[in-house]
Amino acid sequence: MTAPRQPRRPVPGPARPVARPVRPRPGSQTLRLGSPRPRLRLIGVGLTLVLLVFTVRLLQVQAVDADAYAARANLNRYIPVTLAAERGAITDRSGIDLATTVDAYDITAAPDLLTPERIKAQGAARQAAELLSPVLREPVETLEQKLTANPKSKYVVLARRQTPQVWKKITELKKAQADKAARKQGANVLAGVNRESHSKRVYPNGELAAGLLGFVSADGQGGGGLEAQLNKQLAGKEGKRVYAQSGGRQVPTGDVKEQAAVPGSDVELTIDRDIQWAAQNAIARQVEQSGADRGYVVVQDTRSGEILSMANAPGYNPNELARADGSAMGNFALQDAYEPGSVSKVMTMAAVLEEGVATPSTRVEVPNRLPRADRSFADDVDHPTWHLTLNGVLAKSSNIGTILASEQLGKSRRQANEVLYTYLRKFGIGRPSGLGFPGETPGILAKPQEWKSSRPYTIPFGQGLSLNAVQAASVYSTIAAGGERVQPSLVRGTKGPDGHFAAAPTPPRTRVISQKTARQLTEMLESVVDDQEGTGTKAKIPGYRVAGKTGTSNRVDPQTGRYHGYTASFAGFAPADQPRITVYCAIQNPTRGSYFGGQICGPVFKQVMEFALKTLQVPPSGSQPPRLPVSYE
Amino acid sequence: MTPAARRGSRLARLLPAGAVGARRTPFVLLVVVLLGSGLISLLLLNSSLNQGSFELSRLQRKTTELTDEQQALQQDVDRLAAPDALERRARDLGMIPGGSPAFLNPDGTVSGVPAPAGSDPSADAASYVAPAEPPRAPDAAPAAAPAPAGRRPPWPPRRPLRRPPPSRPCPSPGGRRAPGPRGPRRHPRSGAPVPALPRSPRPGTPNRSGR
Repeated sequence: MTAPRQPRRPVPGPARPVARPVRPRPGSQTLRLGSPRPRLRLIGVGLTLVLLVFTVRLLQVQAVDADAYAARANLNRYIPVTLAAERGAITDRSGIDLATTVDAYDITAAPDLLTPERIKAQGAARQAAELLSPVLREPVETLEQKLTANPKSKYVVLARRQTPQVWKKITELKKAQADKAARKQGANVLAGVNRESHSKRVYPNGELAAGLLGFVSADGQGGGGLEAQLNKQLAGKEGKRVYAQSGGRQVPTGDVKEQAAVPGSDVELTIDRDIQWAAQNAIARQVEQSGADRGYVVVQDTRSGEILSMANAPGYNPNELARADGSAMGNFALQDAYEPGSVSKVMTMAAVLEEGVATPSTRVEVPNRLPRADRSFADDVDHPTWHLTLNGVLAKSSNIGTILASEQLGKSRRQANEVLYTYLRKFGIGRPSGLGFPGETPGILAKPQEWKSSRPYTIPFGQGLSLNAVQAASVYSTIAAGGERVQPSLVRGTKGPDGHFAAAPTPPRTRVISQKTARQLTEMLESVVDDQEGTGTKAKIPGYRVAGKTGTSNRVDPQTGRYHGYTASFAGFAPADQPRITVYCAIQNPTRGSYFGGQICGPVFKQVMEFALKTLQVPPSGSQPPRLPVSYE
Repeated sequence: MTPAARRGSRLARLLPAGAVGARRTPFVLLVVVLLGSGLISLLLLNSSLNQGSFELSRLQRKTTELTDEQQALQQDVDRLAAPDALERRARDLGMIPGGSPAFLNPDGTVSGVPAPAGSDPSADAASYVAPAEPPRAPDAAPAAAPAPAGRRPPWPPRRPLRRPPPSRPCPSPGGRRAPGPRGPRRHPRSGAPVPALPRSPRPGTPNRSGR
């Protein structure tokens, strides 16, 4: 059986010789493998140790120090950004913007990019300055100086608060430069020019009400005037936004915490833009013509006490603060205290009439000189003894007549002083106006005990006490409103970011004199303007009944503290029988031409009053003025 | 049976029975599809995010641009509408400030002292109330009353004193009356009171007595 199978095995011999393990090479010993157990143990222990280290580290990172690491990670990952709140606008009484906020950019540059070593060319700074000069409207030299002053610097501000249009032009220039550089036609000298976002406060009407509105400082906070007073309402509240970033870009799926900024409220003033303009125009012209230091006009609504206009001259342009004259920056209608002069005689008359010691037709014999205290008082012109009615005393603005009338107020001078003092206080003299304006002066009114030597005799005709223009206007508004004083107001209300309008609180009213006295005073004030002998004939408005009073006072020079020069003023209201508007004008230290209130402030009063009557569409009443007698025979 | 055959059958027993290949394919496909679709959706997600961020920055840029433009235009408007600029324009056009206002009352009388603009009648204007306007157009329907104080047309009192130009269409006689006691007619744009037209038109000699 085996024989036939032999040929099928071509290689006889041991079965599967190839399957056999490799034979030991000649000359070597048989490899003796050690027991695998210790090795496995060793590796096992090693791995365990490694894993243990990992675990410990893991625990340390994830559990023990987790908070610290998370905080450090967040520090880099989460970027907080402040969201600027938009400052509210200031509008006039009909919603026309007087101050508003727009976007602006600071234009910056990197001077170190323009050094010859970096740019491999000479005069790169000059070139950049030449390119930017027409856009920024700055001289080439100034810009070049800024670019080369500190060549190592990486940051210099070339121009502040530029419009987006300027930046657009610069980007176009930059693009052109970059194209040129790409075509190897010179270096890109504008590569380092950049921008920083800012907001800018603009005053669309320029000088209009500049002193009243004030200005905003570089950090966006109110720096003066109403901008400072109303800063809290206007500023709003800054917001904050925190987002996750990676490599400088926001992670789209990362969480974002955002607290939106609350924009500031819009503030609506009682100012009427057009009347404000007319007042400012008129006073600026007169101040220039008279070569005066300054002047103010206050226009007040007699019914509501709202200030329709508060104009100062000379003014300044709040859009170009850098070029503004520092001495013109301020709202001097509230910040200047001065002696009002004859304009305040009306308060003495109010006291006399209200106390019932005289009537408008009471006869007053006015000598040319009146010896009182240490001097003899005079009127502004020498005259024979006048035979005037009380009405005539006011119409001709007689100092002597006013002193004589004031002496009727009490049995003794001291008593009379006290009575007069209470009336002056009730009219708001020596007290803050209630507007709360920054830098406002309450004026100076000494207590009657301190009225010494000549003061008891000068105060009745408006010297020896001081007030500001708004207080003076308020006195006449009080008479116009039938003897009830309405505290002046400048703010009608605020409109919050939600569009809800919150009206300002109604100003308080106090009764100063009776309606009858106010009516008598009004008739007397009409004589000032209407009577041929009155001092205020220049303020006459054809068709209207105008009540007013002139004032020409000795002015205390603020530099020397002594009397020098004059204050000319005029106060009045119209229509006299149904008063609507009070206009007060004062001019400090007129040096050219007349210095009499009736001559230089009367025309200003007339212009402003006419404009205000037209603007508010106040028709004349058509009634006849009473024409009280001025003198008696 | 040879030992080889015996070994072969033993080995064959170790292999799973049945059609192995037919079962594996769907699983592989499933995995491939899952992985592939995951990759593709990730790609789509990423590109749509990018797309969104591109769109966002484009729209933000546009918003900024439009805001800038709006602000620039608003400033232009404000500059032109400022009282100073208006005065200059008005003077360029030959206008001068009007004097004291005069009002035409509904009954045809005039309150105030009308005078041509530019003249200063304050020196001799002793009379406070002007005499009633001469009875021009006595049959005129009650004309404009002074508009209530509010927003104002410029120099409102001047306008009511002027007769409308003859070319104005007049209501036919006997037709509807011009608005009477219901109130003054308003100028279509400025809201200024315009005088009502006389009912029976007369040959128009412009009455200038009011100026």
